[in-house]
Amino acid sequence: MHTSIHRLALLMLLLSSTVLGGSAVAADPLELSQNRGKLVLVDFWASWCAPCRHSFPWLNEMQAKYGDRGLVVIGVNVDRDHKLAEQFLRDVPARFKIVYDPSGSLAQNYDVPGMPTSFVFGTDGKLLGKHIGFQQGSRAERETELQKLLPPVQPN
Amino acid sequence: MNDDANFNAALAAATCALLGASVPVHAADEEAQRWSFDTSLLYYGESDSRVQDISAAVAAQRDFGDDRKLSLNLTADTLTGASASGATSLDRAQTFTSPSGKATYSTSAGKVPLDDTFKDTRFALNGSWTQPLARLYTVSGGLGFSTEYDYTHLGANASLARDFNKRNTTLSFGVAYSQDDIKPVGGAPVPLSQMLDVGDLRNKRNDDTKNVLDLLFGVTQVVGRNTVVRVNYSYSDSSGYLNDPYKLLSVVDPITGDTIGRVAAGGQGPNGVYLYENRPDSRTKQGIYAEMKHAFGAPVLQLSYRFMTDDWGIDSSTLETRLRWPVGADNFIEPQLRYYTQSEADFYRSSLVAGQRLPQYASADFRLGKFDAVTVGVKFGHRTTSGNEWSARLEYYQQSGDVPGDQIIDRQAGREQYPDLNAVIAQFGYRFGL
Amino acid sequence: MKYLLAAAALLILSGCSSIGVQPWERDVLARPEMSLDANALDAAIDDHIYFSKEASSGGRGFGGGGCGCN
Repeated sequence: MHTSIHRLALLMLLLSSTVLGGSAVAADPLELSQNRGKLVLVDFWASWCAPCRHSFPWLNEMQAKYGDRGLVVIGVNVDRDHKLAEQFLRDVPARFKIVYDPSGSLAQNYDVPGMPTSFVFGTDGKLLGKHIGFQQGSRAERETELQKLLPPVQPN
Repeated sequence: MNDDANFNAALAAATCALLGASVPVHAADEEAQRWSFDTSLLYYGESDSRVQDISAAVAAQRDFGDDRKLSLNLTADTLTGASASGATSLDRAQTFTSPSGKATYSTSAGKVPLDDTFKDTRFALNGSWTQPLARLYTVSGGLGFSTEYDYTHLGANASLARDFNKRNTTLSFGVAYSQDDIKPVGGAPVPLSQMLDVGDLRNKRNDDTKNVLDLLFGVTQVVGRNTVVRVNYSYSDSSGYLNDPYKLLSVVDPITGDTIGRVAAGGQGPNGVYLYENRPDSRTKQGIYAEMKHAFGAPVLQLSYRFMTDDWGIDSSTLETRLRWPVGADNFIEPQLRYYTQSEADFYRSSLVAGQRLPQYASADFRLGKFDAVTVGVKFGHRTTSGNEWSARLEYYQQSGDVPGDQIIDRQAGREQYPDLNAVIAQFGYRFGL
Repeated sequence: MKYLLAAAALLILSGCSSIGVQPWERDVLARPEMSLDANALDAAIDDHIYFSKEASSGGRGFGGGGCGCN
């Protein structure tokens, strides 16, 4: 029932409709078309997850470095208390999109196996990879992995 | 919000540095502060001029990232005062030879004899390293060392933990081994030999050793969003010199229950017949410990129960509870209650009866007797703006024991049979990061 | 007692897949005061005091619980 494409579509729906404050808004077509053909890294995080303090600088770096090549990083926050997420973001700024999932329904949908978890979806929407946990020591390896999955640099 | 929540794989020592001596410490800001410190200053004082102890402890932890941690603990203790020697009280004054064999000390009529304990300073150092072995495995190893002038301890420990069920369940196994050297002042006395006059060291022998092997199996289970439970099985095997070289038994008259008198030949010495104790040279203990922590919103309740049994005939139960109650955003108050009860060792004797056959093992050490103990206390904590924490703890400990009815002889019934203990514990703590 | 323990451990392990919380529901468990080693220094000090006044010692021990991260 939950194929990768359906999951991505659901995510896009939630992404576009779950703005700060969580009010439901109709799907924004611009958002969807913007993310088709991109490599999407979805990272589930929480304010109480200590390794997330270390993962954010790396995610920021990845978004900055490979955004032009088609990487989109989306952080899904699972805090029940929104204020805690806000406090975390003040301490550890995120330079990528944040989506709020306070009820955990998105986490449930994706059957998140641990905190934090990153899912990588390819340009066709297929699930290409999953990482449970964040280790400082594996950053280089994960970056190489992303580089291999990104659309090749188009000569201009 | 406090973000120092990453110590799920930390190990905590319970015994004197026997198993996993790393003490997890909380840093105020995890990123900038790599070293965390937890310090404490403690005063322990018993009533009636008995034991007083002042100790200072520093627990340091260095985070090397990716769940790798180094822990170092240093403790210094100074002990003064005296503890009950095992001899029974009498209607007249009693004189004993001091452990060094060079002097005597006395106990007034009607008082429980306290041994002439000397000032003693102890230092203990423990270190341990913890790291993941694979994603769901955590391994840890540590070393411990402590020294005081009549006792040296050296120990090593290792443990392995594995998570299951999305880290809702953790299974742990640990092993610790220690080797202790005992150098009693004046030499270890020949067990069940008589206390001799000053200068007479005929029944004093040399140093001795003791080995302890500890095994621990544990299951930790997350039961709900607000509750976590832990159950441990522990096994401990000690062998070697397990006696207390300073503890005695009075030899008493079978009719009156009074200590048999003697005259110190040519000088100073005991004015009664006292024998040094003797315990078996091995002891096997087993225990089950169960603990639960439950959050009722902000307050957290901790409840634990431990049952221990050994081949010396001692069974004990310990019930403990604490309730951590936050007061505002930066403070907390935590009342604590502990109830402990133990049965006496098979070879526990309040005194030995003259004329009866000497048992193979005998000890009047109150710590091997039958008693109940209660601790009531409260702890206060305050978090500063920089994220460090001050705390103060005050506790009152009371131990009251019973001598088995069949061991009380005539006049002993009117005297204090068991050296009941009352102690006050005051502790100040400070946690900070660098 | 050993058999009771073994049975308890097996029961816990076998029934465990249904007991517990999802990884994203560990916010309360991640609080430092919910760690089983929250006051490890106090516990070590207490154990040292009771070790010298009572016949029983030890029994506590390892990790688990907490935020379950990494």
